[in-house]
Amino acid sequence: MSTIALALIPRAVALNLAIGAIVAALKLPVYLDSIGTILVAALAGPVAGILTGVTSNLVLGMLSSPIFIAFIPVTVVIGTVAGVASRVGGFRSVPRALASGLVIGLLAGATSVPIVLALFGGVTAGGTGIITIALRALELPLESAAFIASMAVDVLDKMLSCAIVAAVLVRLPRRIGARFGLPQAAA
Amino acid sequence: MIERLRRINPLTALATAVLLVCATYVVPAPIGPALTLGIGVVLSSLTGVGRRVAILAIAVALPTWLFLAVMNAVVAPEGDTIRVAGIAVAPAALVPAAWIALRLGAAVAALGWVVMMTPPLRLVHALAQRGLPAWSQYLLAASLAAVPEARRRAREVLDAQRCRGLAVGGGPLGRLRAAIPLAGPLMVSLVTDAERHAIALDARAFEPRGKRTSLVPVPDPKGERILRTALWALTVALVVWGFVR
Repeated sequence: MSTIALALIPRAVALNLAIGAIVAALKLPVYLDSIGTILVAALAGPVAGILTGVTSNLVLGMLSSPIFIAFIPVTVVIGTVAGVASRVGGFRSVPRALASGLVIGLLAGATSVPIVLALFGGVTAGGTGIITIALRALELPLESAAFIASMAVDVLDKMLSCAIVAAVLVRLPRRIGARFGLPQAAA
Repeated sequence: MIERLRRINPLTALATAVLLVCATYVVPAPIGPALTLGIGVVLSSLTGVGRRVAILAIAVALPTWLFLAVMNAVVAPEGDTIRVAGIAVAPAALVPAAWIALRLGAAVAALGWVVMMTPPLRLVHALAQRGLPAWSQYLLAASLAAVPEARRRAREVLDAQRCRGLAVGGGPLGRLRAAIPLAGPLMVSLVTDAERHAIALDARAFEPRGKRTSLVPVPDPKGERILRTALWALTVALVVWGFVR
């Protein structure tokens, strides 16, 4: 891994944790807490993306709540898929980034459901949990309700995160873009 | 004894917490989680972080129990129901919900004890002493150091864009549109900052695969090393027992 990728990861981890201030100010119905992971994966590939995700949840586990450590597999999936998406041009435009976000969201949601079922009994205390309860009121089985709720939140969250990352990539100084081999930097 | 417990090597504390978390999920409820929660609370109290750990555990366990109770006892009642203020409630569903919340609380208390008692960098140094490569040590230490700076910068960007007239209210689409002018500068500045740090690392001939020597070694007496081996062995045995029973 290049030194700049190594130096970028801690900043991206901090971004994952700091973005909460912006989300709260905008009252967005999403978390955007994987935006740093997706940014690093888009710039430096899947391995760097995985390291960012794992480190983020370890640091969150140390600074906030150990519960985040249980969701490390989800961050591994996000880092991997975002890195692969980047390799096939998944962040070259906002529409492509939205498609990448859809895939990342579906896979991340599918990964988080077994964790939520095993550790939390299928419902987490938050927005996703409220959707799960609403779906249970419609007599959906618990597994289906947890799956649909997780998908709905994760897909929206990752699509928005990927769109923001794609918008930021074109605004990066060419010098830095070139260090990561971004196509727009070479143009 | 208590003073010695407060100066325990972070890796010994971590091994204890991992054992407690495994016991919480392997030993049947309510005995397993109640016992581990008790141990976690006692260890936390002895090391002076009892109140913080209790708050953390309650903050996770109580909302989880409430959500589960609403879902399984009221919204989609499981089992026989009784009427409470005109609402059908399944009281039997409250018990499994309580065990799930108890398990979560016990796991959070065990890990929370390590997190609250140990300064994060001390844990990183202890890991480095046991052979953690320089690159992963850098990732953990630099991430912990970067968080306050990034939070400060996020607030600065927010204030600056508001001063320039950025509307952060309105409908969902308008708020989504406002996300880019807010998140964008923060992200670009962090990437630019990374380049500066990469140059600094290169200038200092940073070797990612090397092992680093700590200026302040974390004490790791032989007794603790033996205890740690026993704790890890017990954890493995517990997990195996959980699978085969």
